[in-house]
Amino acid sequence: MTERRQNARVLIVVGIVGLAFLGLAFRLFELHVLEHKNLLAQALANSEQVVHRQGRRGEILDANGNLLANSLSVRLLFADPSITCSQAVAMAHALAPLLQTDEAALTAKLAGPGHYVRLKQKLNDDTVQQVRALKFKGIGFEDQFVRSYPNGELASHVLGFVDAQHKGVQGVEASMETFLQGQAGYEVIERDRRGKEIRASRIEDLAPRDGFTVVLTIDQVIQHIAEVELEKAMVTYRPQAAVIIVSRPKTGEILAMGCRPTFDANKAGDASADARRNRCISDVAEPGSTFKIVTISYALCEGLVRLEDRFNCENGVWLYGGRLLHDAHPYGVLSVEEILFHSSNIGAAKIAVERMGPARVYDAMRKFGFGCKTGIALLGEVSGIVHPLSKWNKLSISRIPMGHEVSVTPIQMLMAMNAVANGGRLMKPMIVKSVLDENGTPVMRYTPQLMGQPITPQATALMTTALRNVPSPIGTAPRAAVPHYDVAGKTGTAQKLEGGQYVEKYYSSFVGYLPANDPEISIYVSLDDPAGGAYYGGSVAGPVFRAVAEKVTQYLGIPPQQKPDSDKKEKVA
Amino acid sequence: MKQNRKREPLRLGTVARSLIGCMCVATFGLLYVYGKNRINRLGDEVGKREATLAAVEKRNTMLAAQLAQLKSPAVLEQRCQQYNLGLVAPKDTQVVRVYEPGSEWDAQIVKSTDPVQATATKMKAPTAARAKKSQPKEMVRR
Repeated sequence: MTERRQNARVLIVVGIVGLAFLGLAFRLFELHVLEHKNLLAQALANSEQVVHRQGRRGEILDANGNLLANSLSVRLLFADPSITCSQAVAMAHALAPLLQTDEAALTAKLAGPGHYVRLKQKLNDDTVQQVRALKFKGIGFEDQFVRSYPNGELASHVLGFVDAQHKGVQGVEASMETFLQGQAGYEVIERDRRGKEIRASRIEDLAPRDGFTVVLTIDQVIQHIAEVELEKAMVTYRPQAAVIIVSRPKTGEILAMGCRPTFDANKAGDASADARRNRCISDVAEPGSTFKIVTISYALCEGLVRLEDRFNCENGVWLYGGRLLHDAHPYGVLSVEEILFHSSNIGAAKIAVERMGPARVYDAMRKFGFGCKTGIALLGEVSGIVHPLSKWNKLSISRIPMGHEVSVTPIQMLMAMNAVANGGRLMKPMIVKSVLDENGTPVMRYTPQLMGQPITPQATALMTTALRNVPSPIGTAPRAAVPHYDVAGKTGTAQKLEGGQYVEKYYSSFVGYLPANDPEISIYVSLDDPAGGAYYGGSVAGPVFRAVAEKVTQYLGIPPQQKPDSDKKEKVA
Repeated sequence: MKQNRKREPLRLGTVARSLIGCMCVATFGLLYVYGKNRINRLGDEVGKREATLAAVEKRNTMLAAQLAQLKSPAVLEQRCQQYNLGLVAPKDTQVVRVYEPGSEWDAQIVKSTDPVQATATKMKAPTAARAKKSQPKEMVRR
């Protein structure tokens, strides 16, 4: 009896244990076989995480390796209001002085709806440490990049700026976006119970690649010189806007490019669209007398005129096509050379009318690159306005040679003058010198590009002879003369068109190069509607040219030359 | 029942084999744990080093920006004025240019007065090296 009882008990225990094991086995089978796929995904989701990492945007350097733009890694503070709402007031009270924000606004954010709200961007390390020390729950930090322009306003139109997504919007930032933007990477990591990464169990690791470094042809010092003189010109002449471009005529390298009004690239959002516009490439205006170099050099090149040929300048008033054409001062008979340095409108018109004809004038403009973009590596360049021959009226032939009925950009005008300075070779303006990888190895090198040869070296030599007289006591821009240097240049004063009518407002400009015989630099200066009475290019833009040229020649160490004054006087006489 | 049990002496070989087997398993287990531990520790170390590197790089870019700002011409000019250093660029009259003896530079000076000839000469031999060679040396008169 007892034995039977014992056996029964054993059987019950074995049965219970057996059933338990059976249940366990079934559960294991269910977890490992039937539910394997779902549970594995859940487990991986709990422990594994894909972390995306953005590559740092490349730097922008000047021609001498000085930093013009780079990206700084900063922190963003965010909160989960569903956690922070219970202690929003206390948190806001503690955080507001650290974040330098309004306490009430912070409270509203911390107590608001949703699970994510940004409290403050661009936090520095010290602030991050201070916030961490408070040990608040429901707040966290995210990495973010912020673009920094250490020189502020310097070259801001050339550099441009980036948007909130760190993408280039304007200037080199936009045009070189492909090189500057970094390549994103990612990591598949495993986290422990506390959410910390188990570094040894990293599953995939594709490191991000930083963007390439872009080296510009801009020289920081020359840019500074140009911008300081722009500021002075804005104070002295009070124009609506002003532009200075400095370049190397032989290569087309842009050494400085500045405009006023300007903006701080670090706070591009605060600036108006007007201030952000790069007027050097996107503003068109009638060039005025500086355009005479185009028609006259072409006429000299084609052998249509010689410097000694003389034209009757009608004592300052000439009736052509039923309309009167005026000179600033009355002149009688002038040689071609005198027409250039006295800037006679009637003389230039007569050369075009009597010797060239519309087809040649049009051809000259096109060969000098007017009416099409120069191809500078900056976004927003415009072509200017050159009307086709079919749209010319009977006055066009007399107006275009003196820079009316045609609109050009400052960069086009400078490149045309560079062609005159450079033996007739029209160069493409260069703003980017090279692209470097993170080790400083060049990935891409930009070389000077020849766009065409509108005139011969002989014609340019003759033009230089004539243009050397412009910044002299007998020319239109004595105040543009640079002591001890041989300068060739041309003034321009164009009336502004407003609502289809010429008004009493002027574009004053001067474009020149030095040393005249072997040009190292060329400078374009233009002031839009200078106030205070003076508006002629020679008296407004000329002094600015001189100020820039003096400092740039000194900086570049260009040896001075004594002007052959005696030679000049003989020729004029 | 008790009578049916036979006492058999322990065999040394069997015990030794068992012990060796156990030790092998234990050693393998210990090595595995040690290895895993070491991998984790090294992983943590790598993670820390990576974090340090990232922080140093971050600081480096910050300092580069700060340096660029301090080196900018505008700031340098401001500092010059602030400290009243009286630093100015030398005037042309304060620079003595010593020309290398030889006919090349003299020839260039002569040519430079006539642009037509200068251009024609340049067309014939526009070698950069030659031009470089004939550059004058600069010396600032103190």
